[in-house]
Amino acid sequence: MSNLFSGISGRFRRSPGTPNGTQPASPTIGTAPGAGAGPAAGPAAGTSSIHSSSSTASLAPRVPPLPNSPSLSQTMSMNESTNSHPNSDPRDPLAPYNLPRPKPLWLNDMYAKHIVKGNFMTLSTRPKTVEQGEWIAHHVVEHYRNLWNFVRVIHEKDEDGSSICNPQTCPRMSAGVNHSFTWLNSRKEPVEVPAQEYISLMQRWISGKIENSALFPTDPAGVSFAHNPGNPGISGATYASGGLDTPHSSTPIPAGPTTLNASLSQLAGPGDWLGKSSGFPIEFVEVCQTIFRQMFRVYSHLYWAHFIDPFYHLSLEKPLNSCFSHFLLTATEIDMLKPQELEPMQPLIDLWAANGTFPKDSKAYACANIKAGERLLAMSANQ
Amino acid sequence: MDNTGNRFHLNLNNNDRPQFNDRAFPTTPSTFPNPIFPPQAQGAQQQGQGQNAQQQPYGTGFAPAPAGYFMNNPYPPQYQQAPQAPQASYQQRPAGYQANDATNGLAHQFSNQNLGGGRASPYGNRQAPQGPQRPRTAGAPAQQTYNSSLSAPMPNQPTQQLPEYERAPERNPDKYPSSTQANQKKCSSLAESFFKDNVKRARDRNVRQSEMEQRLVDPNQSQSRREQTWSNAGKQEGKYLRFLRTRDNPENYQTLKIIGKGAFGEVKLVTKKQDGKVYAMKSLIKSEMFKKDQLAHVRAERDILAESDSPWVVKLYTTFQDSDFLYMLMEFLPGGDLMTMLIKYEIFSEDITRFYIAEIVLAIEAVHKYGFIHRDIKPDNILLDRGGHVKLTDFGLSTGFHKLHDNSYYQQLLQGKSNKPRDRNSVNLDQINLTVSNRGVINDWRKSRRVMAYSTVGTPDYIAPEIFTGHGYAFDCDWWSLGTIMFECQVGWPPFCAEDAHDTYRKIVNWRQSLYFPDDVQLGPEAENLIRSLVCNTENRLGRQGADEIKAHKFFRGVEFDTLRRIRAPFEPKLNSNVDTAYFPTDEIDQTDNATHLKAANAAAGGQPRVEAPEMSLPFIGYTFKRFENTTRG
Repeated sequence: MSNLFSGISGRFRRSPGTPNGTQPASPTIGTAPGAGAGPAAGPAAGTSSIHSSSSTASLAPRVPPLPNSPSLSQTMSMNESTNSHPNSDPRDPLAPYNLPRPKPLWLNDMYAKHIVKGNFMTLSTRPKTVEQGEWIAHHVVEHYRNLWNFVRVIHEKDEDGSSICNPQTCPRMSAGVNHSFTWLNSRKEPVEVPAQEYISLMQRWISGKIENSALFPTDPAGVSFAHNPGNPGISGATYASGGLDTPHSSTPIPAGPTTLNASLSQLAGPGDWLGKSSGFPIEFVEVCQTIFRQMFRVYSHLYWAHFIDPFYHLSLEKPLNSCFSHFLLTATEIDMLKPQELEPMQPLIDLWAANGTFPKDSKAYACANIKAGERLLAMSANQ
Repeated sequence: MDNTGNRFHLNLNNNDRPQFNDRAFPTTPSTFPNPIFPPQAQGAQQQGQGQNAQQQPYGTGFAPAPAGYFMNNPYPPQYQQAPQAPQASYQQRPAGYQANDATNGLAHQFSNQNLGGGRASPYGNRQAPQGPQRPRTAGAPAQQTYNSSLSAPMPNQPTQQLPEYERAPERNPDKYPSSTQANQKKCSSLAESFFKDNVKRARDRNVRQSEMEQRLVDPNQSQSRREQTWSNAGKQEGKYLRFLRTRDNPENYQTLKIIGKGAFGEVKLVTKKQDGKVYAMKSLIKSEMFKKDQLAHVRAERDILAESDSPWVVKLYTTFQDSDFLYMLMEFLPGGDLMTMLIKYEIFSEDITRFYIAEIVLAIEAVHKYGFIHRDIKPDNILLDRGGHVKLTDFGLSTGFHKLHDNSYYQQLLQGKSNKPRDRNSVNLDQINLTVSNRGVINDWRKSRRVMAYSTVGTPDYIAPEIFTGHGYAFDCDWWSLGTIMFECQVGWPPFCAEDAHDTYRKIVNWRQSLYFPDDVQLGPEAENLIRSLVCNTENRLGRQGADEIKAHKFFRGVEFDTLRRIRAPFEPKLNSNVDTAYFPTDEIDQTDNATHLKAANAAAGGQPRVEAPEMSLPFIGYTFKRFENTTRG
């Protein structure tokens, strides 16, 4: 076990303006614009105290709570990228993305296809009776299994010990030239590590969480259910007594909040939290949000660094697209990813909204810039 | 919920983009279940046309069109408003892609260059590249479709040199090492089975939900009853989700007894530690399955059991795996099997025979309705439930339906000299010598048969000739097996039994000469007629047009098939508890389980650490299965 990396943060990298993905020589840590883009000392310090009290979590990517998230800020990138491309047409909805030219293959609609057809929301919409925490836990595990299915392709070592994603090909955990993600070391300093190491550390951290039955309970006796919204006449029944194995089961507690528009933290009153009735601990939602954010970063790296090599060459781009679009739809639907966290993959989200992958009533669709997506669609049609 | 908006289906057949035929998702045919028309040996296809034409009525009656694995799951009626119609947004582009016509403009040439025939796709289906890549020409007609003010044209001049998008290189999977290519296959089959399983689950969930909603609006329900309905539904769904994300393992079960052993594994009576529920757990040794080429059969069994929801088929609750074993958790049927019953009673009266044969007809019919051919119907695979009624099990497994589609295997057996030592359990069995008077000999034979049932070779006694003569086979091969079982029930031994498998094979192939009804056995004329109508060449075999032909046979006059399962069975097992194994030959079975043997062997060999998560090993991807009812069963 290494104690070197105790934290994790996303950091905005100033685009050096070099098109076509040539690696900039060195814009490193100091260039991150603005205080908010750094590891956000405050929140990082807050989490590191938790860290120090728990030795088993020493590999944990510590991410500050959402509102103070140090991860990528959209506004910053907009300002910067419009400046860095003086030639771009201000009316071009894609201009703010500061995309390299030529644009990545995965933004071509032709390569943004799926192995499934139809409404992905069928898989993401919470069944009315199911308690929200249970639904979130289910999706964390499913998407984790899916994602690592693709990671294995780039990480497994072949006979001579090398892997497709290695410190030479990917010295940083990058998502294009505009973004890379750093870890916080034990002194809360952001440290660049090769993508391979970053992803491996993250994998160990996530599986540690998922396999922890205090965080992800497995006893069927503890299962609860969702409040029945269609039955106001029985409002007394909005209290679920919790399963037999739930601590304090004698106290009636509200079943999992289900209002999708309110933020999760608002829903839980004092002494209550999402998933409580099903036996999920108070930190459950935050842990799941962190897991989803980390998984999103891995997907971003897969697209920006490995879409062609190897996924396209191996004819795996359709499965990748299907798993990732399902991931995005689910993560936004259950409030595991916030719109501003989607930035590195925003153009693909726009494209999928425009080409019908994202149903119009999905939250992922609402996160998209349709004009940008339509623009990509039009350009793809003219290829 | 909006049903039309819920359409969600797999898009694996690439109908919309034909030039992607290099991505045929090759895992499907090899490891997925038996197609409706099972894989035939090369030679078999020569007689293809005529045979297919003959099979037509059967095929359409029983199963969806054999369009490929994923087409086997048509949507329930509520989805039929626009069945499988691609959404508009999907149609738009493919229409353009499909046109290989040169008049369609540069755009298509360009896309075809990029897509056409990746020179070395992993799937072996190569096309020659369609010529060198041509630079895109700015200002070509196809480009002038930008005319919305939003997509203001990028100035033509600067783009002239620089394409909008990275150009797609020719796919070149061969540049990666073999380990990557193996991972590629894992990856694509895992993603496929992820969506396949999830689409099915979502569909089932929606059905359950609308059933619940109907109960909620029932005005006869009291408020508290409705509340109960809601919360029970929520808890059941929640338990199922928890079950799905929890990895099952054999340590969660307590073994009570080993009730069966075979070449590839064993069946144990177990209880789940958490709730005390009783199951039969079949565990198969992965390495043996692999060595003996049984992987397709494991898949077939898992798939039919997972898909079926029939009282005639043993219920599968879940499947899971670890690095050494595949596990199938099934319902425990305390009545034992028909083989044990035949050993005990030797022959059945005509009435009792009628009952079992009629039930087996219904059971085989049920299997056929799911689109499967059992191909290995025999007394060992016919289990008896608590009430003494029949259920089928063992779909292509454990008793070693060895290398089923490897025709050469059978040819070898047929041509080769009998090489079994003559003294093994030696019972001089030639059916000409068999009469009722030497029943004792027959029972010795049966005991050796139980030994044989546990071997890899299995018994060929009940197998139809067309299966191993390599001329292809269809659903009706199971009706042949039915005929041989009926013969055994009435006569006391199977019609082609012989001292070793080779002789049995020869007798089966030469059934016209070797089918012989002993003089000292009195068979009713209808019974003999039915047997002869089943144990015959496939063109004349009763049941070719469906099970109703058989049900209409005179032998079954007076049998009410619709209510058969509800009447009292002629033999009802007498049980002292729900874990009573009186009907299993447990004292003949080594009670040390394979895991213990394996552990000992590993310890002796020094033991290697496991490398990979078990469900990630390629041949067993998609094996894991979890039935909803498992969480709700009482």
